[in-house]
Amino acid sequence: MNRLKGRLTWVAMAVLTVGLLAFGATRSSGPSTQEERIDAISKRLACPTCNGESIYVSRASAAESIRNEIARQVAAGQRGDNEIVAYIESRFPGSLLLPPAEGVDSLVWVLPVVALVCGFGGLVVVFRRWQREGEARANPGDADIVAAALREHDDPTDGL
Amino acid sequence: MPRLSRRLAPVVGLVLVAFFVVLAVSKPRGEADVASPLIGNPAPAVQSTLVGGGDFDLSRRKGSWVVLNFFNSTCVPCRNEHPELVAFDEEQAGLDDGAELFTVVNDDTDEAVSAFFAEKGGEWNKIRDPDGTIAVAFGVAKVPETWVIDPSGFVRMRVAGEVTNSFLSGRIAAMREMIDGAGS
Repeated sequence: MNRLKGRLTWVAMAVLTVGLLAFGATRSSGPSTQEERIDAISKRLACPTCNGESIYVSRASAAESIRNEIARQVAAGQRGDNEIVAYIESRFPGSLLLPPAEGVDSLVWVLPVVALVCGFGGLVVVFRRWQREGEARANPGDADIVAAALREHDDPTDGL
Repeated sequence: MPRLSRRLAPVVGLVLVAFFVVLAVSKPRGEADVASPLIGNPAPAVQSTLVGGGDFDLSRRKGSWVVLNFFNSTCVPCRNEHPELVAFDEEQAGLDDGAELFTVVNDDTDEAVSAFFAEKGGEWNKIRDPDGTIAVAFGVAKVPETWVIDPSGFVRMRVAGEVTNSFLSGRIAAMREMIDGAGS
């Protein structure tokens, strides 16, 4: 009964973890104002003339031009965030700072989670095995020792 | 251990020789076309104003070969290539269907650009790009860059870095022949 209860707890924890991960990955808590949208898009793109800086951070002339273009497209309201990012990426190939969560690229996001779950599962299996191997089993010699100790306990004057 | 080093020595030697061979035969970087998803596609819309007055609309230049040169008066390669562009413009002006050259001003002021052209020559029009819209539309991050657009409005060539008159004229002549040949 206890074993079944323990397993159910693990299953519940796994379901909760997967559910929270799925919720976190898919929920839409996107920026609400135009300024926030411009910042969010700028943070996803690398400055084409500087090393490792985002458009959001860089003060380079090219980064400023791209920020202006993002602001113009956001204000025009004709393209979504992903479409604006795709437009900039089409003009400046390799400017994506984060890989998209679509198609084969989504493996970059999925594989670490799978590795984490597999690693956790592996640890559970190993700990269980160690627990089973470490369980003490009484042999006939142990039984004699226990019997002698009990006898001693029953007759404390014995031996005086 | 000495045996291991004796075995490794020829391998290291071979790697070094291969390295020097690659260095010796590799082509030095010079004028060359640069890839762009725009090549072979319609040129982005360019509408702006000109330094010194007037409007510019790329779509109204259809029927002519158009060369857009992205430029900044403080950039050294831009200054270096300028005499070549002056020669190119003069040569094209002498042809019946010569290409039209335009400078796209990148992150620079009207005053600086006008002063530069007054000193170094060059009578062609200079297009303003104050917020970098044209540069982003073409994917230009560094100047100089030169783009060639055919009479139908399709992007035919992009050159990053300095260009020479002979390279630019030669490539446009070849493309013109190819397109005229295909049309006849």
